[in-house]
Amino acid sequence: MTAIEVTRDAPEPVTRTTKAAVSATAVPRAKNRRKIRPGKVVISLLGIAAALVWVFPVYWMIISAFTPNARLQSTNPSFFPTSATWSGFTNVISGSGFVGALRMSLAITVLTVLVVIIWATLAALAISRFKFKGRKSFLLAVLFIQMLPAEGLFLAQYQMLSKAQLVNTIWGVSIIYIAAIIPFTVWMLRGFVAGVPAELEEAAMVDGLTRSKAFFKITFPLLAPGLIASGVYAFLQAWNEFTVALIALPARDAQTLPIWLRSFLADSANKGIDWSQVMAASTLIAIPVIIFFLIVQGRMTSGLVSGAVKG
Amino acid sequence: MKRNRIITAAVAVSMAVTLGLTACGSDDPTTSSAPQNPDNTPTEEAPEGATITMWVAGGDTPDELRDYLKTTFEAENPGSTLVIEQQEWDGLVAKLTTALQDPENTPDVVEVGNTQSPTFTTIGAFRDLTPLYEELGGDKLLPSFVEAGKADGKNFALPYYFGSRYMFYRKDLWTAAGQEVPTTLDEFAKSVKELKNDKMSGFGIGGQDWRNGISWIFANGGDLAREEGGQWVSTLSDPATIKGLEQWQDVYQGASIVPSTERDIAYWDLLNDGEGGADPAAATIMAPGWARWSIGDLTTNDDGDEVRDGMADESKFDIFALPGVDGGVAPVFAGGSNIGISANSKNPELAENLMRIIFSDEYQQMLGENGLGPANADFADSLGTDKFAQTTIETAAASKLTPAAPGWAAIEGQFIYEDLFQKIADGGDVTELAKEFDDKITPLLNM
Amino acid sequence: MTDTIAPSAAHVPPDTTAQQPQRRQEPSGKKRRGKLVPYLLLTPAILGLLAGLGYPLYWQFTTAFKEYGLRQAFGAPAEWVWFDNFTKILTDDAVWAVVVRSLAFCLVNALLTVAIGLALALLMRAVSAPIRITIQIAMLLAWAMPMVASVTVFKWLFNYRTGLVNWVLVKLGMDQFENYSWFSSPWTFFLVATMIVVWMSVPFVALSLYAGLTSVPDEIVEAARIDGASSTQILWRILVPMIKSVLSIVLLLQIIWDLRVFGQINLLQQQGAPVGSTNLFGNFIYEVGVGRGDFGTAAAVSLFVLALTMLISWPYVRSLMKEEENS
Repeated sequence: MTAIEVTRDAPEPVTRTTKAAVSATAVPRAKNRRKIRPGKVVISLLGIAAALVWVFPVYWMIISAFTPNARLQSTNPSFFPTSATWSGFTNVISGSGFVGALRMSLAITVLTVLVVIIWATLAALAISRFKFKGRKSFLLAVLFIQMLPAEGLFLAQYQMLSKAQLVNTIWGVSIIYIAAIIPFTVWMLRGFVAGVPAELEEAAMVDGLTRSKAFFKITFPLLAPGLIASGVYAFLQAWNEFTVALIALPARDAQTLPIWLRSFLADSANKGIDWSQVMAASTLIAIPVIIFFLIVQGRMTSGLVSGAVKG
Repeated sequence: MKRNRIITAAVAVSMAVTLGLTACGSDDPTTSSAPQNPDNTPTEEAPEGATITMWVAGGDTPDELRDYLKTTFEAENPGSTLVIEQQEWDGLVAKLTTALQDPENTPDVVEVGNTQSPTFTTIGAFRDLTPLYEELGGDKLLPSFVEAGKADGKNFALPYYFGSRYMFYRKDLWTAAGQEVPTTLDEFAKSVKELKNDKMSGFGIGGQDWRNGISWIFANGGDLAREEGGQWVSTLSDPATIKGLEQWQDVYQGASIVPSTERDIAYWDLLNDGEGGADPAAATIMAPGWARWSIGDLTTNDDGDEVRDGMADESKFDIFALPGVDGGVAPVFAGGSNIGISANSKNPELAENLMRIIFSDEYQQMLGENGLGPANADFADSLGTDKFAQTTIETAAASKLTPAAPGWAAIEGQFIYEDLFQKIADGGDVTELAKEFDDKITPLLNM
Repeated sequence: MTDTIAPSAAHVPPDTTAQQPQRRQEPSGKKRRGKLVPYLLLTPAILGLLAGLGYPLYWQFTTAFKEYGLRQAFGAPAEWVWFDNFTKILTDDAVWAVVVRSLAFCLVNALLTVAIGLALALLMRAVSAPIRITIQIAMLLAWAMPMVASVTVFKWLFNYRTGLVNWVLVKLGMDQFENYSWFSSPWTFFLVATMIVVWMSVPFVALSLYAGLTSVPDEIVEAARIDGASSTQILWRILVPMIKSVLSIVLLLQIIWDLRVFGQINLLQQQGAPVGSTNLFGNFIYEVGVGRGDFGTAAAVSLFVLALTMLISWPYVRSLMKEEENS
C-alpha cells in the first residue's frame, strides 16, 4: 500500500497535476533541444500508434454514424466512409425525445457544474487559507464520503426527492449530483488555492487595488486551471450519470441523454439494432462534451495569459 | 472586517444565484409537464380536470392503441387527460419500486410483466380490483394471468395481453436438407441438429434464454417451482424437470451457435438472408408472433423505406408450433403483461374508467388485430384466421406461466435463471446444477 | 518573494510559473483569519452535502440494521434486526467472491492505467511537437467520450456476429474467433471491461503525468546525459522520482475510482453476460437492493465496502492528516 502514501515533500501534487493536465495541449512545451537520434523514428511511430489506438473507437463511432445501416451489417467492414449519409443523425434528432433529453442534460449539467464550482471554491478557500475548529473533521468527512458506494442509496434518494416534491425536476437530480461531486472538487481545489500565495494578492493591494479587484486580477486567473479541472470533472460526472437519473426522473419527457440512449438502444434492439443510428446517437451525446472541452481550453489559456500579463 | 463583509456577500450571492436557478428550474416546461397534480385532492365524486398517467412497458403497445386510449379516455372523461409513458423493460422493477410507493409521482395505471406481477401484488402496491373483476370480463379473462395478479383471494392485477411463442423456420433450407416439420420434440431436436453447420444454427437460441428454454421443462411435465402448504419450493431437481433441462442442453449444444450468454436477442435477424443472399445465421428460431414483421425479403414500403415483407415467400419462410414430447403442442412460456392500478393513485376513479376502456370490446378487438393476444377469451378470434393467428391461439392454449411466487421479480432481478441456463448450455452437470440452484432459489421465492 | 514571482508570471509560460514550489500556509495567511469567515465559506458546501446526502446517509446507516425489503419500502414497519444483515453477508461466499473480484479488478486496472499513462507521458516527452499534439488530441477525444457512448461502441466492436474485432481476428487467420463470444466467460468479459476502463482513464493519467514531466527542467536531464547516464537510468533515477508525487496521487485516485466502477459493468451485462460472476461491489449492491428488493442487506454491504475502502486507504489518510497537523 506504499503506493498510496503521498510524500510530504510534495504536499499539493493535485495542483500541478490537473492544472497541467488540462493545459497540456494549450501550452506547447519549451523547444526540444535534444538532437534527433535514430531511435526517434521508432518512438515517433510508437506515438502515432498510441494516438491511433486512442482515437480509433471515436473514429469508428463517427464513420459508422455516417454509414447506412445496411452497409454496416455487411460482413466486410470498411474503415473509410464509402457512402456517407446524414440519415442516422436526422432520424435520431427527429425521433422521440432527443431534443428534450439534450435540454434536460444541459440544464442539469450546467446547474451542477456552476454550483459545485462556486461552493467548492469557497470551501477550498476556507480549508487552505484558515485554521479553524472542525477543519480536520471536514477534510476527513470529505474524503470518506467519496468512498461510500452510491448504488445502495437510490431508494433513500428517491424518498427524499419525493418528500421535497422534486421528483422529475432539474433541481432534484442536481442536488444529488452536487452532493456527490462536491467532496472531490473541494479536495482538488484546496491544492490549487494553497498553490496561490496570498502575498500576490496583498502586493497588488499595496499597489492600490481593492481586495475584490486584487482577487479577480491576481488570484482568480491563477486559480483558473484548477477551476477548469474541477469543472471538467463535475461536467463529466453529471453528464454521464444514469442510475440516479433513471429513478429520479421517471417521466419520459424528463429523461437525460444517457437514459435516452439506453431506451433508444432497447427500442432499437427490439427491431434489430440499427447501429448507424445508435452510433449517431452516441456521437450526438459526445459532441457537447467536446464543445465544452474546446471552450474551457480557450478560456483557460486566455485567462492564464491575461492574468499573467496584467499581473 | 471588510473582508468578512465581502465573503458574506459572496456566500449570499452564490446561494441566491443557486436559489434563483431553482426558481428558473421550476418554470421549465419539462418540470411542469411532469405528472404531478398538486391541486388535485382526491374526492368521492368523479374528479374533474385531472391528469392520469399510464405506464406501458416496452414498445409492445402500438401507437394506434395508445392514441385510441387517449382519445377515448379524454372524450369519456371531459376535462381530464391521459398521459401514456413508455418505460423500458430494463430498469422497470427499479422504477416501479420507487414510483409506486410515492403518491405524488405514481403512475395511475401500470403495465407489468406477468412474471413481475406476483411480487408487486403481494406487497400491496396495487389497488384491489375485485369489485371491478366481473365488469371487466370475469371468468372470460385469461385464468393463468388472473392468478398471477391475485393475492389473498383478491384481484390486484388483471391480464393485459398475452403473447405466445412458436417456431419460425427457413422452409427452403429445411426442405433442401430433407427435413420435415417435426411432430415430436425428439424429431425437432434431430432435425435442427442436422441443419447446424459452422456458420448457421439449426436452431438459433441463446444459452441464457430461459424463457424459451423452459418450454422443454414444461413439455416434459416439469415445473420450476410449486407451492407446498403456503411455502414455495423450487423443483428443479424433480425428475421431469431434470429431463427437460437435459433435453434442452442437448438441443442447445447440438443445434445452436449463438453464444451461451445471449438472451432476448433479436432472433428474427438470424433468420433473414445474410449479405448478398448468403445463408442466414439460423435455420429455425423461437419467437413471439409479431416477429413475423421483421422477417422476410427486403421490400420497399409506401414511405420508400426498406422493410421486411412479413414472410411473404411461403416457400422460404414458414412457422410451426413446438411439438410436445409425444406429439401435439408443447406448453410454451406465455409471455405477456398484467395491468393494475397503483394503490397510491390519487385518481383511482379515473384510473378505473381507463381500465373499463382497456377491457372494452373495442379495445380487446384492437389488441387482437395488432397481434397481441386479447385478455378476454371472447376476442381470441380478433387475432385473425391465418396460420399465424391459428398457431398463436393453439400455442397460447397450451402455454404456461412462471410460478406466481412473491419473490419472483427478485429472482428475475438477479438473473438467476439466466445463470442456471447458461451453465447448463456450457455443458454443466444438470443434476448438480439443479440441486445447487434449488437451494439458492427456494428462500428467494418466499422473499 | 512577491516581487520575483509577479514579474516572472508575465514572461514565463504560466504553466511553469504555477508549478514553482509555493510555500503554503504563509504566516500572513494566519494573520488574516477571522473567527467566523471559514465557517461562512463552508456553509454552502455543507448545506449542499446535507441536502443531497444527509437523509440518504442516515437511511443507509439505520437500514443496515433493519429487515427492510420491498414490503417495508411500501410502508410496512421495518424491524430492527441489528447485526443480522452483517452476519448474513459476512458468511456469504458470494459476498467474498465479489470482494476478491472487485479488489483484483481495481488493482489490475489502476496499475495498468497508471503504467500505460506513464509510458504515454514519456512517449509524449520524447516525440516531436506535431506527433505530441496528435497524441494529445486523441487523448482529449477519448476523454470526452461519454461513458454510455464508449461502452456502446466497445460492445459493438466486440459483438460476436457483427463486431469488428472478431472480423479482424478471423481475417488474420484465427478462425476460432468466428462468432466468438467475448462476454460469455468472466475472464474475457473482464478483459473487455478492463480495456474500456483503461481506455477511458488513461487520458487523464497520461496528460497529468506529462504535465508533471514538463516541470522537470531539461537541463537536469541534459546534464545527466553528459555525465553518461543511460536512458533507463535517466528514467528511473531522475524522471520518475521527480514526478513521484503526481504519480502517487494519480494512482490513489485511480484506485478509488476503479473500486467504484459500476456503469461500465452494468451496461456490459445487458449485452448478456454471466451476471452472477461478473458483479463488482457496485453492481452487487445494486442487484441486492434494486434487483432482489433486499434493501437492508444492500445497505449492510455498502457499509462493509465503506469500511473496507477506509481500511485500504488508511495509510494515505494518516499521512495526509499528519501533514495537516504539521503545516
